[in-house]
Amino acid sequence: MKTKLKQLIVAAVAGAQFTLPALAADSAPTNATQVQIPAYAADGSGGNSAEAAEIKALKQQVEALVQKVNALEQQHGPAEQAATIQDLDQKVRVLARQRENDQDAAATVAKAAPKLVIGPGGLSASSADSNFVFNLKGLVQVDNRSFLNEGIVRGSDSFLLRRARPIFQGTLYKDFDFQFTPDFGGSSVQIFDAYGNYRYRPWLQLRAGKFKVPVGLEQLQSDPVTAFNERSLVTGLVPNRDIGFQLWGDINGGALSYAVGFFNGVGDGRNTANQDFEDHREIAARLFAQPFKNSQNLALQNIGFGLAGTWGNVSSNSTGLANGNGFVTDGQQQFFAYNPAAGTVVADGDHWRLSPQAYYYYGPLSLLGEYAISDQQVRKGALAADLQNSAWEISGGWVLTGENASFTGVTPLHPFDPRNGQWGAFQLVARYAELDIDKATFPLFSNPGTSATAAQAWSVGLNWYLNKNIRVNASYSRTTFTGGGGAGTTAPAIVTRQPEDAIFTRVQLAF
Amino acid sequence: MKTFFKILLASSLALSVSAKEIKLLNVSYDPTRELYAEYNAAFAKYWQAKSGDTVTISQSHGGSGKQAQSVVNGLEADVVTLALAYDIDAISQQARALPADWQKRLPNNSTPYTSTIVFLVRKGNPKQIKDWDDVVKPGVSVVVPNPKTSGGARWAYLAAWAYALETNNHDEAKAKAFITRLYKNVPVLDSGARGSTVTFAQREIGDVLLAWENEAHLALKEFGADKFEIVTPSISILAEPPVSVVDKNAKRHGTSEVAKAYLDYLYSDESQDIAGKNFYRPRSEKAAAKYAGSFAQLKLVTIDAEFGGWAKAQKTHFADGGIFDQIFQP
Repeated sequence: MKTKLKQLIVAAVAGAQFTLPALAADSAPTNATQVQIPAYAADGSGGNSAEAAEIKALKQQVEALVQKVNALEQQHGPAEQAATIQDLDQKVRVLARQRENDQDAAATVAKAAPKLVIGPGGLSASSADSNFVFNLKGLVQVDNRSFLNEGIVRGSDSFLLRRARPIFQGTLYKDFDFQFTPDFGGSSVQIFDAYGNYRYRPWLQLRAGKFKVPVGLEQLQSDPVTAFNERSLVTGLVPNRDIGFQLWGDINGGALSYAVGFFNGVGDGRNTANQDFEDHREIAARLFAQPFKNSQNLALQNIGFGLAGTWGNVSSNSTGLANGNGFVTDGQQQFFAYNPAAGTVVADGDHWRLSPQAYYYYGPLSLLGEYAISDQQVRKGALAADLQNSAWEISGGWVLTGENASFTGVTPLHPFDPRNGQWGAFQLVARYAELDIDKATFPLFSNPGTSATAAQAWSVGLNWYLNKNIRVNASYSRTTFTGGGGAGTTAPAIVTRQPEDAIFTRVQLAF
Repeated sequence: MKTFFKILLASSLALSVSAKEIKLLNVSYDPTRELYAEYNAAFAKYWQAKSGDTVTISQSHGGSGKQAQSVVNGLEADVVTLALAYDIDAISQQARALPADWQKRLPNNSTPYTSTIVFLVRKGNPKQIKDWDDVVKPGVSVVVPNPKTSGGARWAYLAAWAYALETNNHDEAKAKAFITRLYKNVPVLDSGARGSTVTFAQREIGDVLLAWENEAHLALKEFGADKFEIVTPSISILAEPPVSVVDKNAKRHGTSEVAKAYLDYLYSDESQDIAGKNFYRPRSEKAAAKYAGSFAQLKLVTIDAEFGGWAKAQKTHFADGGIFDQIFQP
C-alpha cells in the first residue's frame, strides 16, 4: 500500500510536470489527443525562468505529499489499512451482487411482461406466454378515376376512398386465429371478414365465419397487392366473400393446398349480405399445386396451378344473379344487365362454376392467368334457361428495379429515400381479359340493344412501391364491347355505346 | 410348460405395449435440487419396477413464496414440495388447485423431513459468531434471503425472533428492535436460499449466512470444510417443509395416481435415507438414528407454539405492511 500510494502520487505529479510545459509550448496541438512536449520539459531542465520556477514548485509539492503519506502511514497502521481495503472490497462485491440480482429480477419481469411491437406489419401485442396475440393492421386506398371521351355523360371522374379498413387479427392459445375487417370506404360501413380459424396442423385447419370463398385466383390475392386498381373481368364470375365454414390446409409446406367449404351461396362477383333468405347452400372446393415450391431451382419454385369450383342451388332469388344483376367494366360501369324490357329475371336452379388457374413468378417476372365458367339456371316468369357465361384473363408484370415479384406483392430493396438516392421499386404491369355472355341470354333474359354480349379489356400500368407500406399506382384501361350500344340514357346502353377509356391512380397505405 | 411360457411372453408383450410414459412437474423451493435429483432417480426406478411405466420428473426451484405464486399464476405443477405450509395454503386459497385440508393427507402434516436454520461462517470464525446476539452486532455482515420470496428466510427471521423473545422475557418490542438490528446488517437480499449461498460462498460477501441446515452442509461439501464452518445457535426453529399433490393439475394431466405415489414414496425407507444423506432430518426413526451424528442438538421452537401458526405469523410479519416492511427499507 505504502509503495503503491507513493508511486501513484509521484506518477501523477510527474505527469503534470511533463504536460504543463507542453500545454504552454508554442507548438499547437495537431489534434485533441496529441500534445507536443518541448525538449526542455522532457528532461526537466526548464526552458526559461518562469517554467523553471514552476517545476521547482511542483517538486516541492511532491516532497510535501510524500511526507504527508509517511505521516499518515505512521498514524494508521497496516492493520487498519487492510481493514479499510477489505471493507471497500466487500462494498464492491455487494454492489456487484445487487446488480446481478437486479438483472435477474428484471429478466424475470421481462419474461412475464407482454410484448408490443410496431413495425411494417402493423401493431402487434402478445402476452409473455404467447397465448394471446393481437395484431392491428390497416388498408387505405385513395383512388382517382378519370374517364376519357369528354362530353359523354357516363362515368363520373372522381376521387374515391376505395378501401378504408382496420384489420383486427389475433391468435388465442397458439392455435385459434381470428380476423375482423370492417370497411369504411364505401357509402356504408360493411363487414368484409369476420372469421375464426383453428389450426390443428398446417395441413388441417377449420375456418368458420365470413371470408373469401376459395375460387378465383385474382380474387384470392390480397387487396393491397393486386396488379391493378380493379380486378379483371374474370372476378365478375366468381364469388367474393360468403358465410360458411371451410376445411383447408397446406401440405408439404404449401406444395399442395386444398380447401373444401360449405357456404350460404352468393351470386357471381358478390359479397354476401350477411344473411341468406333461402334454404340452399353452396359447396366450394379448390386444389392448388406448387410442385416445385421446395426445390432449389429458383426458376421453377413459384409455378402454381390449380382448379376451383362451386356447386349450389338457388330458389327463385335475384341475389343469386351476378352482382348488381349484371357485369361491370374496370371503371365499374355496368355493360350488361339482366332484365329485358319486361319481366324480372331471377336465379332459379343449379349454379356451378369451374375455374382453372395458374401463376408463375421468377425474379422480376410475374404471370397470372385464369379462366372461369359460371353456369346458372335462370327464370323469367314461366321461361327458364341454363345460361353459361365465361371469362378469362392473362396478366403479367416486370419489376424494373429488379426486385422479386410474387403473389404476395413486391418489397423494394431500397425504400424511398430521395436524400440518399433511393426511389423504391417500380413495376410495369399489363393485362388482357374477356368476358362472354351466353348467347341464349338474349333477348329473353337481357336486352341485346343495351347490354353487351361480350367485353374485352386491356390495361397497362406502372406501380411504384415506395416501401413495404406505401404504394402509388397509375394505369390506363380500355374496354371494348360486342353488341349493346343502343338507345338509352342509362347503363348499360350508355356504357356500351363506345369503348371505355379510363385512367386510374391510387395512393395506398397498408400495414 | 409351453403354455406357461406363451402366457408369460404374451403378458410381457402386453405390458410393454401398454407401458406408459408419464411426466410430472415438481415445483420445489430453492435448496432442494440435490435432494430431488437423487430422489427422482430412485422413484423412477421404483415406479418402473412396480407398474412398468416410465416416469420423468421435471423440477422447478426457487424461493418458496415465488414458486407458490408461479403455481397460482398457471405453472402446471403436478406436485409442490415447498418450504412452508403457508405457501401451499396460498395455492389452495388463490388457485383452488387443492383442498384446504391438504396437510392431513400425508403423515406428519405432510412433511416427510424437517430442517432448521443454522449459521455458516468463514473458516476460523473470524467474527466469533456463536449465537444470535453476535449476528446483530455492528460490523457483522449477515447474508439471508428476502422473506417476501424465500421460505428459508421466513424460517430464519422467525428463529431470530424466537431467540429475541426467549432472551427478553417475551417482549415483542425488544424482539422487533432485535430483528431491526439484524436486518441493518444485511447488505443484499437474494430471492431464495440458493442465491444467498452463492452470495456468501461464491461471491464471498458477508460474515455469516443464515442458512437451511442442509444448505450449510452442502456448502461445506461443495466448497470444502477448509473454507467454512457451521455454527449451531442456541435456539432455532423446527422448519417443516411440506409436500402436496396439486389436484387440479394432476387430474387434468391424468397423473393423479403417480403424483400421489411420488409423495407417498418420500416416506419410504429408501427415501428417508436419501433425505438424511442430503442433510434433511428424516422422519423415520431408522434413518434419524442412522444420521443422528450429522445434526446438532439444539432447542427448536415450533411455528404453532411460538407464533400461533403460519397464517398468524404471515399476517403479523411478512404480509404487506407487516413487521418486516416496517423495519426494512431497501
